[in-house]
Amino acid sequence: MKRLRQIIEDFSIPTIAVILGLVASSFFVVLAGVSPTETFARLFCEGFGSRGCETFGDLLFVEIEDEDTGLFVTHFAPTYGDRGHALALALEQATPLILTALSATVAFKVGMFSIGMDGQLVLGAVVATVIGYALPNQIYLWAGVEDPEMVVGLPLIMMQIFIPTLAISGAMITGAFYSWIAGFLKIKLNVNELISTIVLNAIAVQFVGYLINFPLRADLNNVGRSERIDDTAWLIPFSRAIFEDIDWFSGSRLGIGIVIAVIMGIIIWVFLWRTKAGYEQRMTQGARKFAVFGGIPAERAIIRAMLISGALSGLAGAVQILGVERRIVDGFASSGIGFDGVLIAILAKESILGIFIVGTLFAGLKIGSINLQFGDIPRQLGSMIIALIILFTSMEDFFRDWITRIRLRFSPIRDVTPEKSKDV
Amino acid sequence: MASALEMRGITKFFASSSVLASNNVDFSVQAGTVHALVGENGAGKTTLMNILYGLISPDSGDILIDGQTVKITHPDDAIRNKIGMVHQHFKLVPSFTIAENIMLGIEPSQMGFINRTQEADAVRKLSEEFGLPVDPTLRVQDLSVGMQQRVEILKSLQRDARILILDEPTAVLTPQEVRELYVIIRRLADEGRSVILITHKLIEVIEIADHLTVMRRGQVVGTDDVKNVTVKEIANLMVGREVILTVDRKPATPGQVVLKVEKLLVADNNGLPAITGVDLEVREGEILGLAGVSGNGQTELIEAIAGTRQIDSGHVYLFDTDITTSTVKTRRNKSMAHIPEDRMTTGLNLRTNIDENIVVTMYDHDEYHNGNLLRYGKIRDLARTLIQKFNIKSAQVGEGISTLSGGNLQKIVVARELEGNPKFIIANQPTRGVDVGSIEFIHQTLIDTRDAGTAVLLVSVELDEILALSDRVAVIYEGQIMGILEGDDLNKETLGLLMAGANIDDIVGATL
Repeated sequence: MKRLRQIIEDFSIPTIAVILGLVASSFFVVLAGVSPTETFARLFCEGFGSRGCETFGDLLFVEIEDEDTGLFVTHFAPTYGDRGHALALALEQATPLILTALSATVAFKVGMFSIGMDGQLVLGAVVATVIGYALPNQIYLWAGVEDPEMVVGLPLIMMQIFIPTLAISGAMITGAFYSWIAGFLKIKLNVNELISTIVLNAIAVQFVGYLINFPLRADLNNVGRSERIDDTAWLIPFSRAIFEDIDWFSGSRLGIGIVIAVIMGIIIWVFLWRTKAGYEQRMTQGARKFAVFGGIPAERAIIRAMLISGALSGLAGAVQILGVERRIVDGFASSGIGFDGVLIAILAKESILGIFIVGTLFAGLKIGSINLQFGDIPRQLGSMIIALIILFTSMEDFFRDWITRIRLRFSPIRDVTPEKSKDV
Repeated sequence: MASALEMRGITKFFASSSVLASNNVDFSVQAGTVHALVGENGAGKTTLMNILYGLISPDSGDILIDGQTVKITHPDDAIRNKIGMVHQHFKLVPSFTIAENIMLGIEPSQMGFINRTQEADAVRKLSEEFGLPVDPTLRVQDLSVGMQQRVEILKSLQRDARILILDEPTAVLTPQEVRELYVIIRRLADEGRSVILITHKLIEVIEIADHLTVMRRGQVVGTDDVKNVTVKEIANLMVGREVILTVDRKPATPGQVVLKVEKLLVADNNGLPAITGVDLEVREGEILGLAGVSGNGQTELIEAIAGTRQIDSGHVYLFDTDITTSTVKTRRNKSMAHIPEDRMTTGLNLRTNIDENIVVTMYDHDEYHNGNLLRYGKIRDLARTLIQKFNIKSAQVGEGISTLSGGNLQKIVVARELEGNPKFIIANQPTRGVDVGSIEFIHQTLIDTRDAGTAVLLVSVELDEILALSDRVAVIYEGQIMGILEGDDLNKETLGLLMAGANIDDIVGATL
């Protein structure tokens, strides 16, 4: 009973927040001279809907005219994948956000407010890119293969397994090392992690910008970019392999990355809530004195958490390059995936399941807001709506209080004494 | 004549913890008296006063000041009605001066600029008027706890409080500071103000209060003139059963030396010497009390022994093993246990559940983990066993502990530290801020472990506690042991002299 009430409360709060965010932003929508309901329906349809999605109801059930018969058929919208589904795109964009949010959560859960995800991510991305094209080329050179397409059979499968693995490992190690610096500075010199990670981010972003524009620049394209990774390093999207027959995935580059993100989510949950190391780091968070008093090696827990956090951000960079971008382009470094991850981790209250939900919502709303401009709706409106929704979501405590008060009005106090123990 | 304050039918239910903290409470205070509000931790005393001060809004009930019904929904309303409150944990700005703190929100200003001279003068005048000398220019962070309390009282008086609420005012004070506080309280009452004293120290009630109201489980269970009741009656009323105020103990049978401290030098947080050459021995089956006015190096000495503070020179031995540089974990694995001074931040992690709090000292013992995975089932069994064994009321396995009362929280700490039958226990202020029932229980537990052969080092600023439990007493003064008393030499007078810095040879020699 108590648990059920908790679950209802946990779900009703974000719903109320989203609705209030929409209500508040309708002021700006009206100001822009467009209909709020239409705008919001479009926002959600573009972010999460299937083909033919026009209204909020279409997010659940959509009526599509059959081309052959001319009859309208009702489909269950979330699984109706004809000509691709917006949700696939949302998940594709959510993948790196989820990984950086996990990264932030691991750091937060040792009491380190590290926001170094962006720096770790871009360094990981660069390492993954370089391994992704340079290593296969070296292999072809050694093996004397002139046309990569000549490689077939077992050698191809071996390369398809080992090259992405190596690229990902390289990225994770790089991210972990970069994050370790902030942890080390904190422990040895008591440098505030917020400051050190901001500075480290700036260094990494500028350094990667330099790499892309000079040593790694592949061609004379207007915007600096690296070589494209070899096909053997590519984490091919579901729409091109594995599930190429399923329309739902078409048009998106959703792929192995989301599977990696889910596996990482499970691993991180087990790590935080079921292992000794996770226990050590959670006790260190916000109760450092308690941890030290109990004999927990708090400094070791901090370093370990920072290493894991960095590795996850590096992984996010690698997944984004190997699965989506396939080359690193100038501007990738400042795309803010890491910072959005921090935001998602905070909104999800460091809950792993919450990160997946919030991350997907966040990515979908972002896509929806960008696509709004294809109607008559100003592009800026989308970002404002998202910002207002986030603002209302962060008012969680206020809503919780509110719900408690309403509940109390309907269920008056019964005979509850302060010492409500079982032995009474 | 109408009462200075009357609260009628106050009811408050906390939905988050399902606690009825105040159940139809009637409470009234006469002008010019000191009224003690007593009860165990969690009895609802602080809730009632927070309602009066506008920090909590009651579900129902009326508040009357001088016979007039008033509406208090915010501390501003309370201040307007001349109610002042000094919280147990002071609400002062440490980086501000005394004057800035007292005048906070009512600063004398010209065109938006604060007039510092006028501010300091006003505070100086106020402190002279009430005979509470303070230097308005000192920063609060540099003040002793007693001084900070004085600033809080002055702050209320500046706002002309006619009803002054003091929440556990003596919990953090040294015996001398307590004396001074009593004088202040009495003077305020004589001026016609009403002082409400929230406390669970019964001696205090008898010494200073005129009337008392006893609360238990959110209800008033009695109210009377102090002169009509005895300490024992109050205690029984508070706890709801017969309370044994003295501890029954057999003479100690000390065995071999368990803990040995040699020529210890330890620095405080500012790097200044706090412990300057301490030698100590604690033996099997005895309780060694460490008496002293707080702030004489007890904290540093205990932290050095427990392993949470670096030792500058000297040695600590546990069963002949040198543990001077050992980690906390090593010391704990060598059978050392530690009931810390501050249960809220050191002894417990209020952000997590009872299971994880209990296992913190044992999580890497083989029975509680399987490789890297913790065995949460076993941990829960342990928590369940300890909750039953120590009768920790309201505690549920797997549930949070932040809503438990101080006494129950302390029981969790004691239960955890005694688990695994340690050979050496540090008990630092084991009953500070704990209700009578729990004090009784914790004292008996410490005696029982002593009888089972454990060496106990007891630190307390309560002399009565030291005398009731200790077999030998070491007195610490300014980082040094002034002497160790036992047998006939062990009495309050001698202890008091040593605590004030007298030389042991002068006093003990003289009495022989």
